[in-house]
Amino acid sequence: MRKDNLYLTIGWLYPELMSTYGDRGNIICLQKRCEWRRIEVEIKRLDVGFDYRQLATCNLLFMGGAQDTQQKIVSRDFSKEKVKVLKEMIEEEIPGLYICGAYQFLGKYYKEANGKIINGLGILDLYSKNPGANHPRLIGNIAVEIHDLRFKIYENGGKNHKSYFINHKSTLVGFENHGGRTYLGKDIKPLGRVIKGFGNNGTDGTEGAVYKNSFGSYLHGPILPKNPHLADHLIKLALERKYKKIIDLSSLDDSLEWQAHEAIAKRLGISV
Amino acid sequence: MLNFILVILGKIISYVSQLVNLGYGSTWPGHVTLSINKNFIREIIKANPQLKIILIAGTNGKTTTGKLIQTILENSGKKVFQNEAGANLLNGISSSLIRYSNKVGKLNYDFAIFEVDENTLPLALKEITPNYLILLNLFRDQLDRYGEVNTIADKWKQALKKLSKSTTLILNADDPQIAYLGLQQNSKSLGSDSKQPRVLNRSYTSGFYFGLDDKTLHQTSHQHAVDSTYCPNCNSKLYYNSIYYSHLGDWECKNCGNKRPKNIFSNPPPSRLSGSYNLYNILAAVLVAKNIGVTNKLINDSLKTFTPAFGRQEILKVDGKKVQIFLSKNPTSFNESLRTIKSLGAKNVLFVLNDRIPDGRDVSWIWDIDTEEYIKNFNSVVLSGDRAYDMGLRLKYSYFSEFPISNFQFQIVGDLKKAISLSLNKTNKSETLYVLPTYSAMLEVRKILTGKKISI
Repeated sequence: MRKDNLYLTIGWLYPELMSTYGDRGNIICLQKRCEWRRIEVEIKRLDVGFDYRQLATCNLLFMGGAQDTQQKIVSRDFSKEKVKVLKEMIEEEIPGLYICGAYQFLGKYYKEANGKIINGLGILDLYSKNPGANHPRLIGNIAVEIHDLRFKIYENGGKNHKSYFINHKSTLVGFENHGGRTYLGKDIKPLGRVIKGFGNNGTDGTEGAVYKNSFGSYLHGPILPKNPHLADHLIKLALERKYKKIIDLSSLDDSLEWQAHEAIAKRLGISV
Repeated sequence: MLNFILVILGKIISYVSQLVNLGYGSTWPGHVTLSINKNFIREIIKANPQLKIILIAGTNGKTTTGKLIQTILENSGKKVFQNEAGANLLNGISSSLIRYSNKVGKLNYDFAIFEVDENTLPLALKEITPNYLILLNLFRDQLDRYGEVNTIADKWKQALKKLSKSTTLILNADDPQIAYLGLQQNSKSLGSDSKQPRVLNRSYTSGFYFGLDDKTLHQTSHQHAVDSTYCPNCNSKLYYNSIYYSHLGDWECKNCGNKRPKNIFSNPPPSRLSGSYNLYNILAAVLVAKNIGVTNKLINDSLKTFTPAFGRQEILKVDGKKVQIFLSKNPTSFNESLRTIKSLGAKNVLFVLNDRIPDGRDVSWIWDIDTEEYIKNFNSVVLSGDRAYDMGLRLKYSYFSEFPISNFQFQIVGDLKKAISLSLNKTNKSETLYVLPTYSAMLEVRKILTGKKISI
């Protein structure tokens, strides 16, 4: 298959408001990794007031973290149609990456320290709460071990196809910084298990969440540059869903990415 | 009596820690004295009523502004002391009081200048009633320490509510959040207590504003890492007649009428400092100096000969070559450093990225720097520091080329001494090596280049 025929549309939700912690690096990473493989990319910036019909034109979604004020503005902008369309798309397995505030927002609710409940989009089976100023924020470098994704096999016309993670490391590294603690329901799996760090809530050892092809996580860094296997996993999922066939991504020289990845793992006392 | 003993104790601690080269000499004495007497700062200041105090707060520019003011005042014959650059928490302020007290615990100075960290300002205002309070700007910096710019603005607003009438506010009109603090302050002082003050452009007697008014400096669009482009009054998106840098400019809200104050001091005298961002520091310093009564001639002369603070465009001569250091500690200052060195024709650059406590442990912010815009022109790029690989990734993903590139376009050298040697080797005698370090990296680079350690 000729790679230069491939074309991907990435929907970047609220790039102006939800871009606080270097999260646009995830978009840059996805874009470059496609361009380097001669896969054309269009980044659709879906800002406040965007037409909900734009969502369906996207093959891959991304939403980053934000400060509280900005998150309130985003919440107001999510009309009934937008929520409905997004929920349907996620159920229909559109790949997506949701970081920190976005991750919380996709859940059922967020309970503030004073007990006030802020409704989430209700798409993912999880909720978050802030235990109050007496509890420290969960901050620091973090290493996560991924399980399920490593062994995900795709079936297509009877042919088994390996997950992108099989040939690569099964760790994710990043930096977390959140006051909110997230608790997963029974209809959703964690992204991984915390090796070092806090993760979703600092108690149950889980980090992030995966539901169908939606990935939520607290990892900044940003998450994708030092975890190129996750970046490529998302690109592959998006292309395969769009073109309805197995697509092998050509390998890139990721030695710098893995050196950066290992530098953090080493600092946390982990060998990868 | 107790405080007199604490001063002596503090001086001993400072001497000892310098002797054993611990490097924390400028905050330990203050730390110890405050833990013994938490009112130490308040009491020492009260015991020195002749001392006039200038507080400077803001994300970028405190040290340069402080040094500008000190230079101008000293040239006018005043005796001035400052807390050490970067030692801007309460323990740093306390340490400076100890250091500059004489043997009988008195401060023989006319002025004290304290640069204050964003989060510390409300605490500092509880202990100190400054004669002048300068609010420079608010940018995202050290996210893992403070989390949110809006939270800090709110804390400042609360602290300003209790501000004494004897404090003169010097405010950056071009920063919407800062200007808004002044407007709210004014409506408070005029007796109204509405949540959304109606904004009128009259001259503000409780404060003075500075800002830029030079169309030649106008930027065409915001850089990516921009905060505060939403109206602090009604949250609508702000419109800019001119953008000078980041979110600073001639702003207005077309929804509620909130806009940049009209009567602003916008005439920076010429100086050797480069970069738009330094114009703001100059304006702030000059405005304070004018208020104090320094003559224009003296101010202008001081600026002509002013040399920058360490690490902030400081020029060092090493092996017959010039090295210029531009402290780059958050997306805004990094972008400005890149913009400035590009305008200076930079060819050889050394980036040093650390993630220690003074730098901020989370380096995600480097992806908010617009490296794509600036790096094309550099010949030699060397990367060093704790997080050199992260910086490498940022640069790798900045290249316009369709194809992936290997490391040869920039070199990663973990050992800082070697990195500096390599960078200097690649720099010709007629060229300048530009160094863009984060805070702790800047101290290390200076130490290597000058052989002197700065105790911070």
